This record gives sequence, structure tokens and C-alpha cells, in this order.
Amino acid sequence: MLKVTDVGKTYGKFTALENINLEVADGEFLAIMGPSGSGKSTLINILGLLDQSYTGEYLLENKSYKDVNDNQLSQIRGDELGFVFQNFKLLTTYNVYENIEVPLIYSKKEQNKKRQLVADVIDKVGLKGKEKNIPSELSGGQQQRVAIARAIVNRPKLIIADEPTGALDSKTSKEIMDIFTKLNQAGTTIIMVTHDSEVAEYAMRTVYIRDGRLYNDEKSVKNHD
Amino acid sequence: MTDKLMIALKSIGKNKNRNFLTMLGIIIGIASVICILAIGDGFTHTMIKGMGNHNMRNKVIIQWEPTSDYNTDGGFTQNDASALAGIPGVDHVKLTSSVAEAGAKAQYKTKNFSIGLNKQPKHLKLVKGTYFTMTGASNGVYISEDLAHKLFKENAINRLISIDGTIYEVQGIYHIGSMEYRPDAYVAKTTFKQLFANQIIKDQAKIYVNDGASKKQIGKAAVKRMKQMGEEKKTGKYSVSNPDQISKQFTRILNDVTYFIAFIAGISLLIAGIGVMNVMYITVSERRKEIGIRRAFGATSSDIRNQFLIESVVLCVIGGIIGMILGYILVSIINAFLPFKAVITPYAIILSLSVSTAVGLIFGFIPSNKAAKSELVGLLKEE
Repeated sequence: MLKVTDVGKTYGKFTALENINLEVADGEFLAIMGPSGSGKSTLINILGLLDQSYTGEYLLENKSYKDVNDNQLSQIRGDELGFVFQNFKLLTTYNVYENIEVPLIYSKKEQNKKRQLVADVIDKVGLKGKEKNIPSELSGGQQQRVAIARAIVNRPKLIIADEPTGALDSKTSKEIMDIFTKLNQAGTTIIMVTHDSEVAEYAMRTVYIRDGRLYNDEKSVKNHD
Repeated sequence: MTDKLMIALKSIGKNKNRNFLTMLGIIIGIASVICILAIGDGFTHTMIKGMGNHNMRNKVIIQWEPTSDYNTDGGFTQNDASALAGIPGVDHVKLTSSVAEAGAKAQYKTKNFSIGLNKQPKHLKLVKGTYFTMTGASNGVYISEDLAHKLFKENAINRLISIDGTIYEVQGIYHIGSMEYRPDAYVAKTTFKQLFANQIIKDQAKIYVNDGASKKQIGKAAVKRMKQMGEEKKTGKYSVSNPDQISKQFTRILNDVTYFIAFIAGISLLIAGIGVMNVMYITVSERRKEIGIRRAFGATSSDIRNQFLIESVVLCVIGGIIGMILGYILVSIINAFLPFKAVITPYAIILSLSVSTAVGLIFGFIPSNKAAKSELVGLLKEE
């Protein structure tokens, strides 16, 4: 799916990432663990094609996007990637349906098909009947389900999740992780950043990041089914 | 596009008060534009129609004007009329006067006044005395309240005055309203013809032309002929009278007013534009999170720019439409006071919509561009 070779990033004198080497296979579920300020977010911003100013090489499906223009990047983000954020990042004045629809506005799919896609993912994350609710009327877990639905509505190959359970209690976290597991089993590659080792256990493999360096690149022992 | 329109409407609806205040400038500006155009169009329309009514189609007017202010005798004579009638293409010629009354001296004892007088009209409302049509060379006279006061102070009825040396008896007194034009005195029709009519010089020759003849050429030829053989060519000048003269003057005044209102409309729209720019800046910074989310899920920077541009244009167009409605109401009110009917043409509506769209595009561009150019990683840190 992706290959990172000697990637680094500095903010002025501060080194945020250094010599990052990472390979993620198709269909893998990878957890990146590390304390805050370790460079987790910086790394997934690069992996998610949100941040283009880095050194080294990053290939997504064997293709470097370092020199492609902004429009093409947007298209790749919309079609191939799906993001889930810690604090959901939903549009507060839009209802569930409209939030999930956002990535489809910018894709060239037919209107009828779009409606079907939204209905499908609402079903998949268990939010049927909540289409007309706005985020503030939902619980944290429900809001994160909306965010996941939004991330997968365009059927992306790779989901990038930044602390998806960071704002949730442990019971809700489990529900959310079950959704991720199901998605992964259906073939979606997932890269998830977390500082919670229990959550990381859902992944097939965990890597650790500290002070901008990546450690312990070994297959996760616990391969839950 | 529909998606973006819906987003724009939603966002505008969210801040109704703020956006309405922003629209005020546009509303006033567009209402002014509608009024100006309606009055201008209405005037032009009326003028064109009016020209048809006055039947200027087959008639040229030649004017005689005295060269000296002291010698006002002159004008066209019957010989002149015959000479003009001889011009090829002329059907017939009528001599008329642009002046309605004769000048005379009214005297009572030692008091002496220059007055204007005319033959008595069919009807006249009197404040004193009884009105009747005087027959023959009667020496009755009706005088204005003002003249009566100046000559006699009071009790003017049945008193005798001298007008240009002839004695007349005051039969009645009439009032001249402030908006009304009347001469100072009226005498019997026959008397007027005998004594004063020659004073009213025939300074206009109405030349009726045959169908198909060129009015312009006949007008030129008529002036030329009068300059050569007009009987009063030494005391005055001949020229083709322009029937549009008055309307031209009115048009000029109207134009001045139009420029003034256009100036106000322009300033109003400029300030409105700055208001729009300001509110768009606020909107953009309030919605950094939203921009970040949309960008992460596939929106290109031009998608973002367009979204905010559309929002700015929609805001201005809504303002423009309200402005048009206000303009329509204003025009209906103005129409009650205008001598002609102001009309709102489709052109005015198209222009108003274009102007509001342009304001939205021009003043929305910089904030929209700012939104489009924002650093993505920074946007996603926003809460």
C-alpha cells in the first residue's frame, strides 16, 4: 500500500521526524503508538497527503505525490483516502446525512449513486434513523460513527485515523474499534495513531514513535479475529 | 453547483442579522439604480410618445427674434408668409405668436403702471363684480386684484381708468393664483383687436410640409429665404425653432439629478462592497475548521474559493433582489409626484442583477482567495 523511506521533517531548528522508514501492506491494520509531541500527527499528515513539506521519499501505491499539483492531491485524498479525527471534526450546522455526504460533493459520482452510498454507510455504522440529527444531538460515540461513515463513504483503500478513540470512554471505544476491525476485514487498509495500548491491540501490527523516530517494527502478536 | 448554492444559502441563513446589515448598502444602492433607470426610461418613453402627440411630424417652426431689446416690433408679415409658402414642399404657412398678451400703460390720477392685457376669456372667476361677455367695442375692463389694489387701494368696481389713453370702466376683479399665469387686465374681444392686437407680433411661422418633404431642408431654405427677403430682416434674426428645446433643458436637469443619484448609488455600492468583503473575511476565519475538513475530503482550493465566492455573490444578489423590490416601491411612490410615469424595464432588472453579482465577485474575491490558499495542516488544527 505505502512505503516510506528516510522521511524527515523539521520546523525551523526543531526536528519533528527523522529517518522514518515504514512499509504498510495492502489490507494491513497498523497502529502507531507514542506519547503526545512524539511526531505521530506529523507523520500521519504526511501519510495522508495533507502535508507535502518533508524530506525523503513517500510512495503511495508505488507512486510519489511529492510533485503533483494541489488539485490532483485533493482528488487522491477524496477518492483513495479517508480520515477519522480525534474530535470527530464534524460540521456542526450540518445533519448526519449532510456530514457524511461531504466527500461525495467533490467526487464525480452520479447523484443517485451518491444517495445509495450514504445510505449504505449509515447502515454500516449503525446510525439508521439519525440522518436528520445534527452532531450536538448525538453522543460522542455516535459522532465518531458519523466521522467513520464520512471517511468510508467514498470506498477509500486507506483509512487514516488520528486518535479515533481519544475522546471516548472505553465501552464506546470498543464499539468504534469493532467497526474498524470489520472494515479491515473487508479489505480496507487502516493506519491508526493512538496512545492507548488497549486500542492498539486491535491492530495487526504496532509501531512506536518517540521524539520523531520510529521503533519496534514487529508484527503484532495479538491478531484478533 | 447546486450543492455549493445550498451551502451558501445555509451559511447565509445562519447569520441572518449580520448578513442583512451587510446587504443594506447593496439594497440602497440597487434601489437607487432602479429608481434612476425607471425615471430616465419613463421620461424618454413619455418624450417619444409626446412628440407623436404634438404632431411635429409635418411641421417646421421658423422663429423671429428681435436683435434689440428696445425694439420688439417686427416678426413675420403676410408677405413673408406668402414667400415661405412658395418654397417647394410647403403645403401652407400659419403665423402665430409666442407671446400671449399685449403691453399697455394703465393710469389712474397720478398713478402709472405698465401692464399686460388680453382679450377676455370665455370664463373667469371673479372676486368682485359680475362676469359677462362684453359685446362690440365695449369700454369695460376686468382687472387683477393686484392691479386694483395698486391703483385704487379699495373699491375699484365701476371706477374709470385710462389704458393707453382710452378710458375704461372696471367691471370686475379677479384673483391670480400663485401657480397661475394671467395678464393684469382683460378687455372686450373687439376692443382688443382694434387697439392692441397689432402689438402681438407674429414671431412664429408654422410651415406645414407635404408628405415626404424633408423638414430639415425646408427649415433651412425657409430661414435662408427670410434672411434674403424677410420684411423685418433688419430688426431681427430668423432661425429654425427646435421643439425639443424645453425637453432638452429638462433632460439636462434630469441628467444632473441622475448623476447625483448615480454618485450616491456608486458610493453606497462601494461601501456595501467593503461591508461584504469584511463579512466574508469574518466568515472565512470563522470557518477554518470547515475549510480544513472539506479540503481533507477532496475539495480542491478552487472548490473552496468558488464556495466562498458563490456565497458572496448569493449574499449580494439577495441584497440586489430586496433592493429591486424596494426600488419598485419607491418608483410607485415617486410616480405619484412625477408629471410622467417612471417605468422599470427588463434592462434595469438585468443591470441591477449584474451590478450586485459584480459587487459580490469583486469584493468576495480576496477573502475567498484567502480561504483557498490557507495551509491545510493549520486548518485541521482548528476546533
